Amino acid sequence: MNNTNQTGISVFKENLKSIGKSFSASFLRSGRPISDRSRAAAMFNNFFLHVQGVKTHINTLRPGYTLGLGFASFALLMMTVFTGVLIMIYYNPSIENAYNTVKDINYVVFGGRLLRNVHKWAGEGMIIFVMLHMARVFYTGSYKQGREFNWVVGIALLVCTFGINLSGYMLPWDQLAYWALVIVSNIIQSPKEITDSLGITQYFDIGGLSKELFLGGLHAGKESLTRVYLLHIMLLPMILFIFLGIHFWRIRKDGGLTKPEHFVPSAADTEYLSLPEKKGGIFTTSKTYGLMELAHGKTPAVGKDVEHEVLSWPNLLIAEAALFMLCFAGVVVYAFFIDAPLKELANPLIPENPAKAPWYFLGLQELLSYSAFMGGVGLPGLALLGLALAPYLDREQDHVGIWFSNQQGKKTALLSLVVGTAVLIGILAFAINFGWFRNWWPNVPQLLITLINPGNIWVGFMIIWTVFVVRKTGSTRMGAIALFTMFLVGFVILTYVGTELRGPNWGFYWFKSQWPPH
Amino acid sequence: MRNRFYFWVLFLSTSVLLIFAIFAAYRAFSPEWADYQAEYKKELVKVVKDEAAKSKARSLPIEIQQMYLADLNGIDRCTSCHIGFDNPLMAKSKVPLKEHSGDYLKVHSAEKFGCTVCHYGQGRATNRKEAHGLGHDTHWDFPIIPAKYLQSACAQCHDAAMLQAKGWDQAAKGEKLVNEKGCRGCHKLNNVGGVLGKALEGVGSKPIAYFPMGAVQGEKTTYSWFKQHFIDPRNLVPESEMKISVTDEEADLLTTYVLSLRAGEMPKQYRRLAITDGAKQPADGETLYKRYCIACHGEGKDSIFDETFNHTVPAIRNPAMLRALDDKNLKKIVSDGRMGTQMTSWKATAAGLPERDIEELVVYLAKNRPAGKPAAFSFPISKADPKHGETIFKMRCALCHGKKGEGGLGLNLRNPVVQAFDPEVLAVTVRDGRKDTPMPPFGKDGVNLKDQDIADVASYVKTLAQRK
Amino acid sequence: MSSNNHDLPGVTRRDFLGWASISAVALTALSVFAGIFRMSKPTVRYEESTRFKIGKPENFPAGTVKKLEERGVFIFSGDDGLHAISSVCTHLGCIVAVTETGFQCPCHGSRYNANGKVIGGPAPRNLAWLEISQNVDGTLVVDAAKEVPVGTKFNLYA
Repeated sequence: MNNTNQTGISVFKENLKSIGKSFSASFLRSGRPISDRSRAAAMFNNFFLHVQGVKTHINTLRPGYTLGLGFASFALLMMTVFTGVLIMIYYNPSIENAYNTVKDINYVVFGGRLLRNVHKWAGEGMIIFVMLHMARVFYTGSYKQGREFNWVVGIALLVCTFGINLSGYMLPWDQLAYWALVIVSNIIQSPKEITDSLGITQYFDIGGLSKELFLGGLHAGKESLTRVYLLHIMLLPMILFIFLGIHFWRIRKDGGLTKPEHFVPSAADTEYLSLPEKKGGIFTTSKTYGLMELAHGKTPAVGKDVEHEVLSWPNLLIAEAALFMLCFAGVVVYAFFIDAPLKELANPLIPENPAKAPWYFLGLQELLSYSAFMGGVGLPGLALLGLALAPYLDREQDHVGIWFSNQQGKKTALLSLVVGTAVLIGILAFAINFGWFRNWWPNVPQLLITLINPGNIWVGFMIIWTVFVVRKTGSTRMGAIALFTMFLVGFVILTYVGTELRGPNWGFYWFKSQWPPH
Repeated sequence: MRNRFYFWVLFLSTSVLLIFAIFAAYRAFSPEWADYQAEYKKELVKVVKDEAAKSKARSLPIEIQQMYLADLNGIDRCTSCHIGFDNPLMAKSKVPLKEHSGDYLKVHSAEKFGCTVCHYGQGRATNRKEAHGLGHDTHWDFPIIPAKYLQSACAQCHDAAMLQAKGWDQAAKGEKLVNEKGCRGCHKLNNVGGVLGKALEGVGSKPIAYFPMGAVQGEKTTYSWFKQHFIDPRNLVPESEMKISVTDEEADLLTTYVLSLRAGEMPKQYRRLAITDGAKQPADGETLYKRYCIACHGEGKDSIFDETFNHTVPAIRNPAMLRALDDKNLKKIVSDGRMGTQMTSWKATAAGLPERDIEELVVYLAKNRPAGKPAAFSFPISKADPKHGETIFKMRCALCHGKKGEGGLGLNLRNPVVQAFDPEVLAVTVRDGRKDTPMPPFGKDGVNLKDQDIADVASYVKTLAQRK
Repeated sequence: MSSNNHDLPGVTRRDFLGWASISAVALTALSVFAGIFRMSKPTVRYEESTRFKIGKPENFPAGTVKKLEERGVFIFSGDDGLHAISSVCTHLGCIVAVTETGFQCPCHGSRYNANGKVIGGPAPRNLAWLEISQNVDGTLVVDAAKEVPVGTKFNLYA
């Protein structure tokens, strides 16, 4: 039906003119975020943003609570992936070309040196931040109250982070990369230590099989580079992102971040925000509810009020934007000054001495120097298992959302720190000064060393101390705090020893200048 | 929450980020080599004379220069800084703009060889420190080689005899020392020798980590290691039992030699060894004729019109022809060939025959030259009438030699070599013909053209090249 | 009809079919994973064979040690025969060096006695003694993948 005022053509012309408006209306279904309602809509109507809640609890936004460590890890991940995809344009994963392409990224690719540096430092920074994030989650008891599984997912993410870092380290095919590959392949083979002691290697050589799967052969070579590259750019990132998705999903499902049971907003909190004025009651005028689904079990909002929550847009987003830029600036400044290392071309005939894994594995390598199996598989496996099981062995549900739970927790942590440091340094000093079994009894059977060595003794002490704390305090939470603190102490000190105090032949040297000249 | 705090963090971080982004961009846009190239342009402008060259110099782009060396699996970017290396105008400039010394580049073109094959260094690098590779933190095993050891590179491609003949004999002198001082008593070379010391196969290209560098004075490079090891082995390797006593100069020669012992071979197209495959003995003329000429010229006694070539192939061992052609002209034809025909140029820089071989060939061909010269042609060519000659040519010659003398059954008379002949030679050929070829005599043995006519034709033939 | 079936004794058809379906999928998945594992284990190695010739017996005069660097093996020759000891350190794979009393590894200081037995450092296993055999034409062959008991000598005249 044609209106005399509007012919078909003129309708078409109108549509054409208003394309901008109609497109943006179809794209931004909620319009500009100028009211509380549209700010809410901006969050949940957006594909990316709706992973976060429309409203965020004030405790979550306190910088001193989370220190932004989880988000920083994510920000570093984004930087690493972004720069990684870019340098993939130039990198070639064949042993003839890998080294030269990395050199050319440094020398001739526009911005290549900076991109590679950012990739390296953001990637390694992730390890630090992920460990710190794990510590924060642990010390605030945020693995409780329904968040147990998310903690386990986090441990899986930790393993992925280490794996991606390690596989990336091997790609330039320089001396560092090649010998790290050899060392890691031998770590993978370390179950052979056990099967040999039991004499079952010829029937069940799990160590040898794993090593062959990893290397694509018996020796590190071009097949290994292909497999490591595949792990680094495809398999591990895929697994990481799947777990990351689950991790974020669970954060929402488990009720967002933890907060203290009796949360009191401070002056600083309320200063710049308008909080909902309504006190008490579940339903306020600014929040509407629609029936989404019928679910069994607890939901986070049951019995809780919407007080102490503020709109995510802009409060959460400004915090995240600030933190992202801070991480970005920090990494770029670091990458501007410090170059990612690149040594000579890989030479299978000339082992590095000392042949060291990347720094985040040097604690493990120190343990390895005592026993290949224990250092490579046994103790790390035990550590991961212990970490994963923590939420199930400590099921106390109180004091969640408070750092160190309470005064007693703070004391326990401090005492564990001091005692752990002293004991570990003592064990190391003993082993460094006096050696171990083989130095005193050259014919001692290997199995004895596997079972009794400085690494096992340290872990044994950790367990004894934890049991002591649990019995003294009557609380599994205190025990957990003690154990985790010991774990951190062990990780830091062993990594330090492996990085700074071990020289050629894994000998002990106070300073690098004391290393015997080669 | 503390939104103002977060705003501050955001803006400060972004500012820092932008500042460093600008620093990084500045660093990316002003690399070391750009400064050198800018300096080069300025100098060039000063040095050239005319305006056109000056404006050409000004408009030279400033960009990375590299030699892509596929067969050597390398890329050399040295010329990004050493931008004037091939410009004679830069002969007096400062390094790195200075022209490469000597005439090495004439026989070792930079595009084919690059720089690092002789000078070592890290070809891919684009800044001085890493390109020269000196210093432990560059992690480069083969830094720029000191000039006194440069000759160690020659032996990759050239044999000792050739090097000695040219006077680049330091490596050879070093080898002589090795043979005179009994080094093989402890060190294996070419798999023969004692075992007290390390085998020397490929020792010249071993990485720095292969050697104990702790006590090396000065730059910790393999070059220093070798030299100092020759002077005092136990200083570098305390448990060494090496017996050696050499002067400083001898140590340098030994170092040059030892550095020439490189693992891996250069691809064949880079090598110039005196003995190449096949010809071990210098070949004689007949062998050469069979090897290169016989396919087209057959036995060489008869002129053949070749259907495939669509051209007449001259009878180069035909006595009549040889009578007309002297050795000098024969050699010229073989060396330079006949452009526009299938006869190739055989000289060393073209098809590749050394001069000696061409001379042997000519000797062989000339064996068929009959004794005695042809009867002289008496009619003075100066009195010849080319116009009349043209009439005769069209009637008598065009049938075989083509209307414009371009050849067919007969030879191409416009060919510069034919045109270069003296007119008397042409006249004699016309008069006497060429026995055993389709060229009949036109003098008294034939249609009896008078000398005047013959001279006319000869002078006309000489004008053929100018006519279209 | 629907949700109260688990009160009945025995297995209902619904449950049985449910389990059967899951098992079918699970079995397929397991086979796929088994296939993936088999497929990722290399069938051929892009490496030199572990069996290699080392030369004729005359090249190993009694009382000598030969280091075959690229093969990772030492060949000892004595009056009672030849034996081959792996030169690959059992700790993390570096090549050991011969010392007066045995072997020493440059990477983490593992030490072995002359028989390859670990006497110091982190190496978990002794250096392997490798099988020596002889071809029809008299050439000696070492198989680096075949270990023999310590003390096994290859006697040429046995």
